[in-house]
Amino acid sequence: MYDLELRNLRYEYGQKTPFHKVAIRDVNLRFEEGEMIGIIGHTGSGKSTLVQHLNGLLKPTEGEVLLGGVNIWENAKRIKEVRSRVGLVFQYPEYQLFEETVFRDIAFGPKNMGMEGETLERAVHTALDFVGLSPELLEKSPFELSGGQKRRVAIAGVIAMSPQVLILDEPTAGLDPRGRDEILARIQDYHKRTGATVLIVSHSMEDVARFAGRVLVMNHSRVELFDTVPNIFKRAERLCEIGLAVPQVTRVFLELQKAGIPVNPGVYTVEDAVREICRIREGGDAGAQ
Amino acid sequence: MLSDITLGQFFPGKSPVHKLDARVKLILTIAYIVALFMVSNYFGYLVIVGLIGLVLALSKIPFSMLLKSLKPLIFIIAFTAVLNLFYGAGEHVLFEYGFLRITEEGIRNAIMMSLRIIFLIAGTSLLTYTTSPIMLTDAIERLLSPLKKIHLPVHELAMMMTIALRFIPTLVEETGKIMSAQKARGADFESGSLVSRVKALVPILVPLFVSAFRRADELATAMECRCYHGGENRTRMKQLTIAGRDFAACGVFALCIALIVLCNIYL
Repeated sequence: MYDLELRNLRYEYGQKTPFHKVAIRDVNLRFEEGEMIGIIGHTGSGKSTLVQHLNGLLKPTEGEVLLGGVNIWENAKRIKEVRSRVGLVFQYPEYQLFEETVFRDIAFGPKNMGMEGETLERAVHTALDFVGLSPELLEKSPFELSGGQKRRVAIAGVIAMSPQVLILDEPTAGLDPRGRDEILARIQDYHKRTGATVLIVSHSMEDVARFAGRVLVMNHSRVELFDTVPNIFKRAERLCEIGLAVPQVTRVFLELQKAGIPVNPGVYTVEDAVREICRIREGGDAGAQ
Repeated sequence: MLSDITLGQFFPGKSPVHKLDARVKLILTIAYIVALFMVSNYFGYLVIVGLIGLVLALSKIPFSMLLKSLKPLIFIIAFTAVLNLFYGAGEHVLFEYGFLRITEEGIRNAIMMSLRIIFLIAGTSLLTYTTSPIMLTDAIERLLSPLKKIHLPVHELAMMMTIALRFIPTLVEETGKIMSAQKARGADFESGSLVSRVKALVPILVPLFVSAFRRADELATAMECRCYHGGENRTRMKQLTIAGRDFAACGVFALCIALIVLCNIYL
């Protein structure tokens, strides 16, 4: 079992300089195996810093990161192994491509993990299949590809290490709506087929609401909320307060509630909204979902 | 590792030293360097210590920052000291063993030279700590502007410097990001033989070059879009102006130089 746990995590950077800042504090979290989690928060709320702790890229100033019950910093020499078990895809991952061919770029990660020969080849092909690219691209230079394709190659580069926990930092940033849906669908597919724990950092409440089981809301270096999607949206007002855009339908329902109509504001998809309106019209009472 | 680059890093503040006109600061730094080379005995260094102390106190730069700027040059200072120690051409021999000979003059030379380098770095670091790179290039441009008469592209040179300086932190940040991204894919920069470590740099350097070119291209386009066409008829948002404190600073420096000259003559 590979649940991931954070205990009293605190991270400060720029100590003893005028740029000193506490990036995250008092973080206590537990992610269960096979969960799909969305992480949202403002720019600078600490979400990117948080995810970089999960695979040991940043060492916490205080507190512990436990992977499968073991502190990942217990043996600093094995941190590389942690990084293969917890795969992290950075923001704009296409800017990290460097190899001459797509194949070699995707193979970079698994090779560093000691894979070779046929196993390596299989890992690359599987990863390519997960992100929905055709094998013809394997011999091309990654710099010849389109933006969306590059992003997928970069994601495949992490998937090829077959991590038990896959973390993606804003995987859809800068993509058009179609590219965004496509990537999200691919990630959901990966989640279903491998049973891996998946964490997605996102700006978009709408996206998060669609795919995530639980949502982690970060605000001012702290965990603001961590709960299931319906429960998070019950706190829609608080979300608005900290400046996070809730889905448009939710906003409409919040306004309806303010206007005195007994609706349940924990509505975040159009389908739910339709159901809720029908319920009200049939004269049900508020809050019963 | 990357956050340790301090030489020439701006340390924001609102002290009188920060507010001095950058041109004045630049000229005073040059004067300071000249004065430093004029010093011929320890008393002169006392004046320099006093001056540095004054600037340090006024600017509220922590003393540890000054020490940090000296750190990368410890080897050069030590090397200079040792070289001077053994190659002094004096007569009062204190110690002799084979070709090694230490003289009183050698020791004196070693101390003087080391102090000179230390104060040289301390003084120039104070300039860069208290002056933003943009202000500094502005000052250089203004000071060199008479050279426009002989068709030296002063503005373009200053612009190039500004852009280069502006992108150092950006590139450092970018390097950090790329390193993290490759580390997340299991890259190892810290262990292995020299050859394998050099090879490990390829996954950093290729993306870094690609992004540097991309940035340069984007910047050029953005500048063209805003009709940038060099220095002619360009006005500035921040005009450099000479104020009372600039004259005061010049006075203090003149006094120090006079003191050093007096030390040289009478002590």
